Amino acid sequence: MDNADFDDLDHLLGGDEMLYDPFEGPLTSSMPPESNEYQSMSLTSNPGEPIGLAVDISNELTRQLCSSERLSFGPKTDVKAKIEAIFDEMLDALLHKQDQLSLTLKVRRRQRAQQHSTANEVREKQITFPGKTPEEAWRFSVVVRILELVHVALRDDVVLSKRDIYYRDPALFGSQAYVDRYIDDIAYTFGTTRSALNITAAAKGLIVGAAVFCRKDGSLIEVRNDNRGVLVPPLADLLSADLTNVKWVLVVEKEATFRSIASSPFWKVLSSRGIAITAKGYPDIASRDLLNFLVTPTIRNGFASPTVYGLMDFDPDGIAIMSTYREGSIALAHEGETLCVPQMKWLGLRSEHILLVQDTTHGSQGLLRLTDRDRKKAREMLQDYLASSATGDEIASELQRMLMLNVKAELQLLDAIPNGIERLLETAVAVNEA
Amino acid sequence: MSKQYLQTHTITNAQPTDVFALAVTPTQVLSASGSSSIKVFATKGQVINADLAEDENPYPLVQILEKAHALGCHHLCASIDGRTAASVGFAGEVKVWESGPEDGIWKEKGTILVEDKKAGERWALALSENGRYLACTTHDGRINVYDTTTLADGSADQVSRFETKGSIGTAIDISPNGEMTASGHQNGAIYIFNNGASRLTHSLSGLIKAVRSVKFSPANKYLAAAGDARIISLYDTQSGEQIANFTGHGSWIMSLDWNWSGELLLSGGYDGKVKVWSIERRECVATQTESDKCLWAVKWLPRTAAARNEMFVTAGAARTLAFYREASGT
Repeated sequence: MDNADFDDLDHLLGGDEMLYDPFEGPLTSSMPPESNEYQSMSLTSNPGEPIGLAVDISNELTRQLCSSERLSFGPKTDVKAKIEAIFDEMLDALLHKQDQLSLTLKVRRRQRAQQHSTANEVREKQITFPGKTPEEAWRFSVVVRILELVHVALRDDVVLSKRDIYYRDPALFGSQAYVDRYIDDIAYTFGTTRSALNITAAAKGLIVGAAVFCRKDGSLIEVRNDNRGVLVPPLADLLSADLTNVKWVLVVEKEATFRSIASSPFWKVLSSRGIAITAKGYPDIASRDLLNFLVTPTIRNGFASPTVYGLMDFDPDGIAIMSTYREGSIALAHEGETLCVPQMKWLGLRSEHILLVQDTTHGSQGLLRLTDRDRKKAREMLQDYLASSATGDEIASELQRMLMLNVKAELQLLDAIPNGIERLLETAVAVNEA
Repeated sequence: MSKQYLQTHTITNAQPTDVFALAVTPTQVLSASGSSSIKVFATKGQVINADLAEDENPYPLVQILEKAHALGCHHLCASIDGRTAASVGFAGEVKVWESGPEDGIWKEKGTILVEDKKAGERWALALSENGRYLACTTHDGRINVYDTTTLADGSADQVSRFETKGSIGTAIDISPNGEMTASGHQNGAIYIFNNGASRLTHSLSGLIKAVRSVKFSPANKYLAAAGDARIISLYDTQSGEQIANFTGHGSWIMSLDWNWSGELLLSGGYDGKVKVWSIERRECVATQTESDKCLWAVKWLPRTAAARNEMFVTAGAARTLAFYREASGT
């Protein structure tokens, strides 16, 4: 191992403005000789890999994620390889019982694009694990978790939204804002764009299932081929839909649940006989538009009128979302009834589903107490419902039960039961198709 | 040895929505539900004989208190003497009702309106033996005691007030002798207060999960408490010690009631099962599975000379009132 190897590496990396000489940099001054040897081994063992990293091992392992704009590799394979190299190094560091792991991120000066001319200064931020403070350990975990998710997305060629990433581990990330910031920092460190990480800003509705749409330009959108779902196409672009095989449409409040349905064994049933849609929370107009188009018999959808099911959280917001699909939103009252789907059946979660999880410790942890805000919102909704509809309305009854029990439940609660979601869906579908 | 109970009668569609609460007087059953009306059924204490024509409808609907609570009524109670009843609506208003001494017809005595926002949403309530004192929990863990004789213009004098640790008071009871008030809370806490001294006497441990019912025994000796822990805990009201645990319910216990003698305890579960427990033997002596729908309320009917056997009534999400009678065993 000698300098020549590193020269080669420098070449490979091509990033002259931020590379430092590995043997002169401050970080390497204390590098013990045995680590040097180890390092050469780890690099030479992967000769074919375009390692976009200058690697250093001292008493701590330091990584520099480098610029790669001038590399001839495709940007995505390149990013994937870089992430793999980082994890390889980290694994080696662990195997060699290093005290600390560390990552170096390039941090952008927070400034507007037009001031970019002066932006040759690059601030580097080193994040170590375990680190000096709990915050640092957390930052390290966040970056590693995002890298891992990006790697999976690149490997499987899936596009994730920033929101997806947040929802993979909300307890870790804490807030969407951190995820957004670190994704941008990682992209910047790799010297690439966010889209090269297979990450997009969150798009609203997703649809998947046994439908084929025909666009006005004559092209077809098949939504059954991809269990990750396609973005809800704008209704204005659609000429018609072939819903011959569609017996039912399932509307899901949360994307996480939408994804677990699409990746469960229920996918078989879904892709042959149904459609699943999520608008990720309160529905946008495009999603409501499309849903209405799917389930209202017209010449454009082949006079199909599939049964519509709603699957929402058992909390005041879940019920309000259901009610937005059914009766429309208050903010868009002027849109009239054209967007409403009053025939939507409320599959869940309902008070009776609490019984399913009462017995399991894990499941009963998915039950939460109502907050003061929840109780207030439930009371106000109850008032609105009873003012406008007859007593005995199922929504009013469920709101009353929710208040009585002082309990709410999120859809993820079904994950606590083996095949929870599938069982719920299969029962409903069996009833529908009987 | 187990006991046998037979379902003797059901009133289907007793209410258009879930029956959330029942109250009994010596001659009537009052039912409250998600609808605005409280319905009153006569019990009269007669022996049921299916062969007689007049017994085909042994529990006739005798009164409907129309538009009692616009958003529905979640808690309802009656004083032991059967002369006063009180109900709380989902909007938080409390209504006090008085029964006519001759005809048993209920009239509204007055309303305790929702005070300002800071007062707290009213939740469970209980009346003292003669109906004079009304204790009411709030969502932030307070217990307010009102004097119903001062009821006027939408409010009543508050005679005492107990503070607890801010968890919603999900259950409350006043002891038959009027000396104690007990409250159960969402966080599993159970408290016994001395009404005369207006102070906390016992903070009872044991249930951890939400408490959904607390009930004093007829002789004031015991307090039974139950809820999401699926256990019924029995406490000595003087020492505060936990003296027994009854296990056997497979789901949350929503409601408890002592029989007149204090020998039997009745419990109803979220899974629709109702159980009768012997205090002496400390075990379940009967289980009835009514449906898989939640039983919000279970109540013994007061003993009458005419009915030799104990009877109880259950109600819940099935919207029916179901009456049970102990099989004679002879």
